Amino acid sequence: MVLFIEKPFKRLMRIRGIGQVLTVTAGLVVLSIIFGIMNPIFFSSRNVANLLRQIAPILLIGIGQSYVLITGNIDLSIGSVVGMSTMISATLMTKGINPWVSVLITIIACLGVGLSNGLLVSFAKLPPFIATLGTMTIARGIAQIANNNYNTDSIGEAAQGLRDFFYYGKTFGLYNTIWIALVLWAIFNFILTRTKTGRHIYAIGSNAEAARLSGVNLVSTTTKAYLVSAFVSCVVGLITTATSGMGTMDAGNSYELYAVAASVIGGVSTLGGQGMLFGTIIGASIWGVLQNGLQFAGAPVAIRNIVIGIIVVISVLLDVIVRSGRGARKKRIESTT
Amino acid sequence: MEDEAYIVEMEHIVKTFPGVRALDDVQFHLKAGQVMALLGENGAGKSTLAKILSGVYTRDSGTMRLFGKTIEGDLSPKQAQEMGVSIIHQELNMCSHLTVCQNIFLGHEKTRGSLLDNRSMRKQAQEVLSSLEIDLDPDIQVGDLAVSKQQMVEIAKALQSNAKVLIMDEPTSALTSVEIEQLFHLIRGLQSKGVGIIYISHRLEELQHIVDVVTIMRDGKYILEKPFKELSMNQIISNMVGREIKEKFPRIPSHRGKKVFSVQDLCAGPLVKHIHFDVYAGEILGVAGLMGAGRTEMTRAIFGADPKEKGRIILDGKEIAISCPEDAIRHGLVLAPEDRKKDGLCVKLSVRENIALPNLDLLCSKAGIVNRKKETEMVEKAIKDLKIKLSSTEANASSLSGGNQQKVVVGKWLARNSKVVIFDEPTRGIDVAAKVEIYQLMNQLKESGIAVMFISSEMPEILGFSDRIMVMCDGRITGELTREEATQEKILELATQFENKFETQVG
Repeated sequence: MVLFIEKPFKRLMRIRGIGQVLTVTAGLVVLSIIFGIMNPIFFSSRNVANLLRQIAPILLIGIGQSYVLITGNIDLSIGSVVGMSTMISATLMTKGINPWVSVLITIIACLGVGLSNGLLVSFAKLPPFIATLGTMTIARGIAQIANNNYNTDSIGEAAQGLRDFFYYGKTFGLYNTIWIALVLWAIFNFILTRTKTGRHIYAIGSNAEAARLSGVNLVSTTTKAYLVSAFVSCVVGLITTATSGMGTMDAGNSYELYAVAASVIGGVSTLGGQGMLFGTIIGASIWGVLQNGLQFAGAPVAIRNIVIGIIVVISVLLDVIVRSGRGARKKRIESTT
Repeated sequence: MEDEAYIVEMEHIVKTFPGVRALDDVQFHLKAGQVMALLGENGAGKSTLAKILSGVYTRDSGTMRLFGKTIEGDLSPKQAQEMGVSIIHQELNMCSHLTVCQNIFLGHEKTRGSLLDNRSMRKQAQEVLSSLEIDLDPDIQVGDLAVSKQQMVEIAKALQSNAKVLIMDEPTSALTSVEIEQLFHLIRGLQSKGVGIIYISHRLEELQHIVDVVTIMRDGKYILEKPFKELSMNQIISNMVGREIKEKFPRIPSHRGKKVFSVQDLCAGPLVKHIHFDVYAGEILGVAGLMGAGRTEMTRAIFGADPKEKGRIILDGKEIAISCPEDAIRHGLVLAPEDRKKDGLCVKLSVRENIALPNLDLLCSKAGIVNRKKETEMVEKAIKDLKIKLSSTEANASSLSGGNQQKVVVGKWLARNSKVVIFDEPTRGIDVAAKVEIYQLMNQLKESGIAVMFISSEMPEILGFSDRIMVMCDGRITGELTREEATQEKILELATQFENKFETQVG
C-alpha cells in the first residue's frame, strides 16, 4: 500500500520549492477549518461561491506579479492598471461604444503600460522599482483623466452582456469570474512550465548573465512577463467594471501589494528564479479566506489588515530561515572537505 | 641600509587549501625603506602570501615576525592593520560617493563627543596628502577622480592609519605613463620615510625604476631572494618558470583541417586591441597569458557578450555579424565561460533546466512548447557522456560539486552541433579526475572536426594539451607558438611583453 504512493510522492517532493507550497496548503486547510468551526455559515455553498469570487481577482493579479517576480523584477503598476482598465472601459461604454469594442481598446491601452514597463526595465535598464513606480503614477493619472476626473455614470443596459460575462453569469454552476481566473491560470501555468518562454523567465530570474550567455534575449523575455502582468490586471479591471456597473477612479488601489502578498505567501521568491503558480493559487486563497473568515468573525478592516500583514511577513521569514539554515549547513560541509 | 633590522620575517610558511598546497615552506623578508618585488607566474602563491601577511588568510604552520615581534597564533586583518600592514588591491576599495577625506578616515573617524570632528579630520587629511606631495582637494568625491588619484587616496589612507608595510598588488595596470611616474615618485617618498613596500607586478620592465630586492616564487615554493642589480631579466624569467609538469595530458594527434574561423582586427575596450587569429578544424588552440591579459575579454567580445568597437569575424569563409550571444550560438559558435557561478549556471534551477537552456530551440515545437521526451533524452545523454555525478536531474545546480558544475557548464554546449567551441579556464578549481574528463571531451570535439579554443592560466596544461599556442599580453596578441617550439620560458617572455608605457628617464 505504502509502495503505491511512495513513487509519486517522491516525484512530488523533488519539485523545487514544493516544501513551502505544501506548508501553506496545510495552513489554508487549517485556517478554513478554524473559520468553519467558528461560524458554520463559512462552509455554506453561498459563502463558498462568494469566497471563490473574491479570490479570483487576487489570483489573477497574483499570476501577473508572480511572472514578474520570477524574472527577478517587480511590478508596482498593477493596481493602477486595474484602475485604468475600469475607468477606460466604463467611460467608453457610457459614451455609447459597443462594450466588446471598449474591452478591446482597454486591453490595448493596458498592454501599452506593460510594454513600457518591460522596455524601461530591460532595455533602458531602470531599476524595476523606480520604473514601475513611475508607470504606476502615470496609469493612475490616466484613470483619472479618462472621465475628466469624475467616476463614470452607470454603464447601462447595453453592457448587461458584459456584466454577465465577467461577473454575474454562471457556467456549470460556478460564477464566470471564477472560470476566467481558472482558465487564465491554466494557460499561464502551462506557458510558465512547459514553454521556452517560461523556461527563459526562470532562467533570467536565476542568473540573468548566464541566461544571456546561453542565448536568452533579456529584453523580450522581461517584456513578456510585464505584458502578462498588465493583461491580467486589465482583466481584473474589467471584472471590477462588471461588478459595480461603473468606473471608479481609485479602483485597484494597493492591488500590486496584494499581488505581492499572494505570490510570496505561495512561495514565489522576490529575488527571482523561484516559485510556481500553484503556490500563487494557495497564496491568493489564504488572502481570501482570511478576509472572508475574519469578516464573519466580526473583525474590523483594520484587524484584517494587520493579520494579513503578519501572515506575509511570517511566510517570507519562514522561507528565509529555511534557506539560511540550508545555506549554513552547506557551508559547514564545504569547510570540512 | 644593509644593517637595518627586518620588519617582516616569515619562515617555513605553509598554507593548504582543499586539494592544493598553495604555499610550501616559503620564506620572505623585508627591511624598512626597502622596495621588494614579489614575482612569480599565475598561481605561484604571491597573493596567498600577501594575504597571510595582511591577516586575510591564516597560515597552517611557520613563523612570522613583524617589527621584531613574533606573532603567536593567528593574525587577524584588524591586528595586521594595527601593527602597520596595509594592502592596496588591484581593484580599489573605495566608497565612491564619499569625499577623499571621508574615505581616508573611514572606519576610524575622529569624533568630539559623539559628533564627527570634520575640521580636524580635514586638516589631517590635508597634511597626509601634502606630505605625500599629492595635490588633491580633500572635499572632492572619490568617484569623480581618475583611477590613479583614487589609488593615491588609498595610499594616503594606509599612511594615515600608520602603515609601515605597504603591499601593492599590480598597482600600475590601470595607469598611464605620467601616472606611473607620479606613483613611482610617491613610492620613493614612502621609502625615504622608512616604509617597506612589497610590489607585486607582472610588468618586469618597470622594476628597474624602483625595486631594490626581488623575491621569486614558483608553484607555491620560495625560489630565491636577491638584490635586483645582481639579476638579469633572463635570470628572472627562467627562475619564474620551470613548473614541474606532473600531470599527464591525454593528447591525441591532430589532423588539422581547413580554416574554420578567423577573427580580424578585433577591438573592444582597453583589453582587446587589434586581435587577429585563425582557428582550424580539428585542432586545439591554447590561449596563454597572465591574469588580466584580456583573454576573457577577447572571448566575450567574439561571442557578442560585450560590444565590439570594430573587427570582422569569419566563419567557414563567410563574414558573420554577431551583436549578442544569440547570434553567435545560431551561427554555431559557443562559449563556456570562466566564472561558473556568475556566468555559467542558473544555480537555482535544476541540472535538467541548465543543460536544456541554450538548446531550447532544438527541443521546442514551433509553438514554443518544450518536448519533455526530447529534453530528458538530451539531458540524460549529456550526463552519461560527461559522467556527471548527481542524485537526480532535478537536483539544483548549486548542489553539485565544483567539478560537476563545470561539467554542466561545458555539457550544455555539446548537445548542439557547433563549429567553434571556446572554453575559458575549463579546469579551474576542479579535481584531477574531473579535469581528465574535460580533456577527453575536448579531444572528442577535436576528433569530430570542431575547432576548439581554450584559455588557461596553467602553463603545464597549455603546453601539454594545445596543438598551437597563442599568447596575449595587455590586450594584444604578442605571439604564436607551435607545439614543438613552445617552452615555458618562451610563453612567459611573450606574456610579459608589455608596451613600454614608462619611457621617461627616471632615477
